[in-house]
Amino acid sequence: MGYLRGFAVTFRQIFQRPVTTPYLIGKGPKAPKPERLHGRHVLNRYEDGMEKCIGCELCAGVCPARCIYVRGADNPPTDPVSPGERYGYVYEINYLRCIHCDLCVEACPTEAITETKLFEFSFTSRADAIYTKDELLVDEAGMPKHLPWEDWRPGEEEFTSGWVRATAPAGDASYEGRVGWSGELGFGVRAPEGDQESRDASGSAGRAS
Amino acid sequence: MADETSTQVTGELTITLNGTQVDARKGELLIAAAERHGVYIPHFCYHPRMRPVGMCRMCIVEVDTGRGPTLQPSCMLECAEGMVVDTESDVTSKAQDGILEFLLINHPLDCPVCDKGGECPLQDQTMAYGPGESRFVESKRHHEKPIPISDLVLLDRERCILCDRCTRFAKEVAGDPLIHFINRGNHTEVNTFPDEPFASYFSGNTVQICPVGALTATPYRFKARPWDLEQVESTCQTCSVGCRVAVQSSRNEVLRYVGVDSDPVNWGWLCDKGRFAFESVNGDERLGEPLVRTGGELRPARWSEAIASAAEVLQSTLTAHGPEAIGVIGGARLTNEAAYAWAKLAKGVLGTDNVDAQLGDGLPAEVVLGLPSATIDEVCAPGGTVIVLGPDTKEELPVLFLRLRHAVLNDGVRLIEIAPTATGLSAIATASLIHHPGETAEVARALVGQPGLGTDAGGVNSAALEVARAAIAAGGPVRVVLGRASVAESVSWTVEAASILSSIPDTSFLMALRRGNVRGAIDLGLSPGLLPGRVTLDGGRANLSGLWPTVPATPGMDTTAMLTAAAEGHLRTLVLVGADPLADFPDRDLARRALAGVETIIATDTYLTGSSSLAGVVLPAAGFAEVSGTTTNLEGRVSVLSQRVTPPGTARSDWAIASDLARALGVDLGFASVEDILTEISSAAPSHAGLADALASSSDTDGVVVPLSGPTPADALLSFTVPTSDALLPRHSYSLRLVVGRKLYDEGTAVHHSPAMTNLPVGGALRLNRYDFDRLGVAEGDLVRVIAPALTIEAPVVVDPAVPRGSAGAWFNQDGLCAADLIDITAPLTVLQVESLNGQGAGS
Amino acid sequence: MTVSDVAPIITSRFANPDAHTLSGYRATGGYQALAKALSMSPEAVANEVKEASLLGRGGAGFPAGVKWGFCPPGVWPRYLVVNGDESEPGTYKDRMLMERDPHQLIEGVLLACYAVGCGQAFLYVRGEMALAQERIAAALNEAYAAGLVGRNIMGSDFSVDVILHWGAGAYIVGEETALIESLEGERGMPRLKPPFFPAAKGLYMQPTIVNNVETLSNVPWIVNNGAAAYNELGAEASRGTRMFAVSGHVKNPGVFEVEFGTTTFRDIIFDPRYAGGILGDRAVKAFIPGGASAPWFFEEHLDLPLEKGTVDRAGSMLGSGAIVVMDETTDVVRACLSLVRFFAHESCGKCTPCREGTTWLERILTRIISGQGRPTDLDLLLDVSDNISPGIAWPPKQTTICPLGPSAVSPISSALTRFRGEFEALIDDAVAARTAVTPVEITVGSHG
Repeated sequence: MGYLRGFAVTFRQIFQRPVTTPYLIGKGPKAPKPERLHGRHVLNRYEDGMEKCIGCELCAGVCPARCIYVRGADNPPTDPVSPGERYGYVYEINYLRCIHCDLCVEACPTEAITETKLFEFSFTSRADAIYTKDELLVDEAGMPKHLPWEDWRPGEEEFTSGWVRATAPAGDASYEGRVGWSGELGFGVRAPEGDQESRDASGSAGRAS
Repeated sequence: MADETSTQVTGELTITLNGTQVDARKGELLIAAAERHGVYIPHFCYHPRMRPVGMCRMCIVEVDTGRGPTLQPSCMLECAEGMVVDTESDVTSKAQDGILEFLLINHPLDCPVCDKGGECPLQDQTMAYGPGESRFVESKRHHEKPIPISDLVLLDRERCILCDRCTRFAKEVAGDPLIHFINRGNHTEVNTFPDEPFASYFSGNTVQICPVGALTATPYRFKARPWDLEQVESTCQTCSVGCRVAVQSSRNEVLRYVGVDSDPVNWGWLCDKGRFAFESVNGDERLGEPLVRTGGELRPARWSEAIASAAEVLQSTLTAHGPEAIGVIGGARLTNEAAYAWAKLAKGVLGTDNVDAQLGDGLPAEVVLGLPSATIDEVCAPGGTVIVLGPDTKEELPVLFLRLRHAVLNDGVRLIEIAPTATGLSAIATASLIHHPGETAEVARALVGQPGLGTDAGGVNSAALEVARAAIAAGGPVRVVLGRASVAESVSWTVEAASILSSIPDTSFLMALRRGNVRGAIDLGLSPGLLPGRVTLDGGRANLSGLWPTVPATPGMDTTAMLTAAAEGHLRTLVLVGADPLADFPDRDLARRALAGVETIIATDTYLTGSSSLAGVVLPAAGFAEVSGTTTNLEGRVSVLSQRVTPPGTARSDWAIASDLARALGVDLGFASVEDILTEISSAAPSHAGLADALASSSDTDGVVVPLSGPTPADALLSFTVPTSDALLPRHSYSLRLVVGRKLYDEGTAVHHSPAMTNLPVGGALRLNRYDFDRLGVAEGDLVRVIAPALTIEAPVVVDPAVPRGSAGAWFNQDGLCAADLIDITAPLTVLQVESLNGQGAGS
Repeated sequence: MTVSDVAPIITSRFANPDAHTLSGYRATGGYQALAKALSMSPEAVANEVKEASLLGRGGAGFPAGVKWGFCPPGVWPRYLVVNGDESEPGTYKDRMLMERDPHQLIEGVLLACYAVGCGQAFLYVRGEMALAQERIAAALNEAYAAGLVGRNIMGSDFSVDVILHWGAGAYIVGEETALIESLEGERGMPRLKPPFFPAAKGLYMQPTIVNNVETLSNVPWIVNNGAAAYNELGAEASRGTRMFAVSGHVKNPGVFEVEFGTTTFRDIIFDPRYAGGILGDRAVKAFIPGGASAPWFFEEHLDLPLEKGTVDRAGSMLGSGAIVVMDETTDVVRACLSLVRFFAHESCGKCTPCREGTTWLERILTRIISGQGRPTDLDLLLDVSDNISPGIAWPPKQTTICPLGPSAVSPISSALTRFRGEFEALIDDAVAARTAVTPVEITVGSHG
């Protein structure tokens, strides 16, 4: 007889209001996204066009889903791809595996990989699901590549970057305690995100959008 | 042996380590004693295989020797009775933290791009104990980013923490003091001398022992991060020393070898050729599918087709001409298991005894097996005398050279060198007896003869002989490192010399054979007249009766005889098991005629070589790091080889190829796995009886030395008899005796298919003493006319002070002048005439 | 002010213009001690020197006679190495001895060799001392020609070769093990003691006695006049006479030989026969009693006698006998920097704390002086010092191999303890200047 009680639970739920919200029904506008939504990744460039990725594989090392594959190579001395000795020669993310945990962004020492707010992308083949370096890297203007199966809307490119602290310039005591930021192609130096305390106090969302 | 780790080490004195009484040995360094008792003291400059210098100061700990606690570097301090050590006191921690901060202030934050990141002692120490933030706000020390200090090694001076490990290694271990500190104080840096690269055969070791990423190797640079790598421990088969290595791979590609410290063998060191030969495992030209000659050309084929084709050739030769018409050459590249499988196929199935793993450049099996043998440790034991009668160990067996060098410089071993040219050991030899080529036996005879005769022998003056005799007379055992110093002369003189030296009391021999597993191949029957387990055909026949379908009745031919027979049309089918006679046989003219003279060649190999490209069937074999099994080094030490990656394409293990060929011939070898073969070896080969159990219970790193049990009954062994030595033609003034040795970097597969090393072979030239230069009226780099028995060619000459007057040196298997073209194997000694091209004849 | 009127022992010939020649030396009693010694047994000579309380004049002040006895018996050959690499800032006594009276040194060397049993002596002369090298070389040639050095000296069966070696300009080679390394042709880097105490394992791993030039110059007088006469001079353990070099803000800088142990700092700084008082008759702010490595003394220490034990107990050392006087106008931060800079420049680079630490100290001080100081810098200076010399005590403990690292700590600890306010004033000014301007936003990551 106990199983009938199970059916009763199901039956009662039919008349409840669903807790899920409809999203992008039809061709309407996208719903606003939470500030910290993790979408698909981009590989960023410095303002001078150099790639930020140095092929260090820390993202791949930290990835719990093992979805990132990176290989480094020597920067050609005459035509370097990134600052320093090493650059990311191969960079692939398998979105069939990625859980968008953002640990890769945390691990990245150069703010090279960040996540956009885009999650409206679906693919029909395994090859499409594995994003290559070419697809992940921002273009000459600093904008993410729009792949055919992705639903980019005007203005969405703006929310592509992270806010990781960069190295403070050494030596000059004038800058003691101040943070230096690396500029980004297309966006320059982004305003820093305030710390938790100040945001709680002001009640604002923190980072200007 | 096996229970060494579990044996209680009884110390001669007692120290107090962090409040606990522990034992220590007299003379033992505190840092080593602490580590032995499970207390790790952080360090950078200390390396157990090198002299301590106490430079990095990281290992300072509080020590009280009765006068109150003071900070002392534990790497310099020998344990003393009653010493009280505190490695965790506040004073110790403060001092160590301070040192770590000092090391970090000028160390660049390169960790994300640094090859060492992830396996870096400095990084590990910093993660474990270091400060979270730097108090150093000034700009760091800057140098030009990596500068090449040799073809294989890059130096990043910014990362260097000046621990003196690489420089100490270069000076003390390798004997190539080509890198040193320059400048002083905070500007101190490691560098080479101007225009003198760190051209050492051992440079890769500095990369391995560097405690930071200051030294990186070009072949591994940026290839992977340590956490990508998976590794197995294996034994290097590049030469026969058998160094233990960790084979590391990522994504099914071998990316690095790292030396493993095997106490009886390599002490953690590797030579650069062994270390960087991993590139040839991944070579683009690796054979990945069988090839069968159809319509005059080698075309890809399926395995079934290739095996059937090879079996058909073998079967038809057997039917038409009997087993004596089949020859099998090679096997030194194989594992012991594959060698046994091939021996079983050749001798037990095909029934031919024309089987030889050596290519006319080694020693007869009765010499290898018949003389009392010594291990490397026995050779290098303090207080003895070592006679090196053979090749230049620095060129052919580099890590053996390091062990010998250490023994001479640190353990008071007296070294006598008997060689036709000066070698890497000459500078440290007690006596360096450089003799006329072909007169080795004269020197040996003079050496064991009565002292004070005051006569020269074989071109060696009496004073040098007297020094050598005194060294032997000084007592202690005599160990002979025996091999072929020159392949341009008959082996008989070397054998005769060995037999003369064996008359010295308490003498034993280490066989300086060159190829990877040549010792294992001989042990397991890939040699004419031998069956697995170091026994003769007659001695071993009974033992194999249930296991092998047949056993050859009479001893067959060695490689030289086989090639001669082939050239004359008596040998119909030749099987090359990883052998390339065109490149490796001393007489290339004979090899060429032989390969042209046989009806069919069947080859198994990892690469298509000059010889295998002439074959009718080529079977792709899995190579090093792609197979598991065991291998035997020059001492007879059997150690485990491990598979790390899969072979390219459909390439297969050599034992499986042998098995398939046998099956196609209608015989089941009875092997389904490597373990099956090891089990059969353990019962069928007398010298290897119980090998499987012994290996299972021994340490993987050190392996076991065969024979495991007592000696095999004498009648089953090859008896060592001194052959009649070839008569030597008298020297005359206008001819030069040829000496052919090898360089570490030659045109062999390992170097040729490793991009990082392809530029390293020196190239071929005729090397003469300055005296002969003047006599011939030629200058350095001139082309001269070289008149050899088989041909006359023009070749460049260079001055080589290592070559004595009246001799001419040529390197084997080099581009340009190739020594194999000059050698006439039918002559006991190849004699050249050299003429200047500008009209002056030799001897004028 | 009581200054004893003791006849000079080692500078007695300085006034003679020909004292550096063999004839000039012989005319004033030269080589008589050698002749006398050759009639004695080596043990007797050694005992005479041992009984005379001849403290080493190089810096550590270890009794020379005792040192000679440290050679393990029965181990040959033994070497004598003469440390003439006098490089401590403010010290120039050995230079004078080598320039003005080289034969006295050579005779001392021969006596030491006779007493210890050395067949070879190495005279290591600082590379920059051109005249001293010239005079020593000439004197050696004369001595060889006269049969005073070389085979069968003065017809006896005693033979000694003296080998002259010129340094290449490194302060650290004044440290005995670094000097030995340098003599062997290696880089001048100190060896760790233990295990390599030179008396047991020194030059070429043989027993080696390393003595200072001034120390050996005393030996002929001791042999001539006896240990008892020597011990009549001086006080407590500090016997005989000693040369002090006075420099800095004094009217009459120079080298003076005074009775050891009884003369006070006030005597030597203010007496008109010696340094003659402070320039402009200003007040003393501080003075360094024994070379740049020594902790500073101040006005209250002026009446201490120049006696090893007393000065050690007062927290400094007589070291190499260099007294550097700073008057009240001295900027101690800059004085401190210039001393630290010297040690950072002269660090050999062998061990980490000295190589990195001394330069770090120098850079912090430079920053403070250039207006980039931070309030945390003084504690940082002390903590970095503590990591080089744990506890910053005297005598110093060290995490380094040799005392050079702790030497750089001495001026910092002295100056910061006594004059912390001067450092703070500089930093306060810098902080005030910085808060007056708002820094521009900065970016990193431009790669040109």
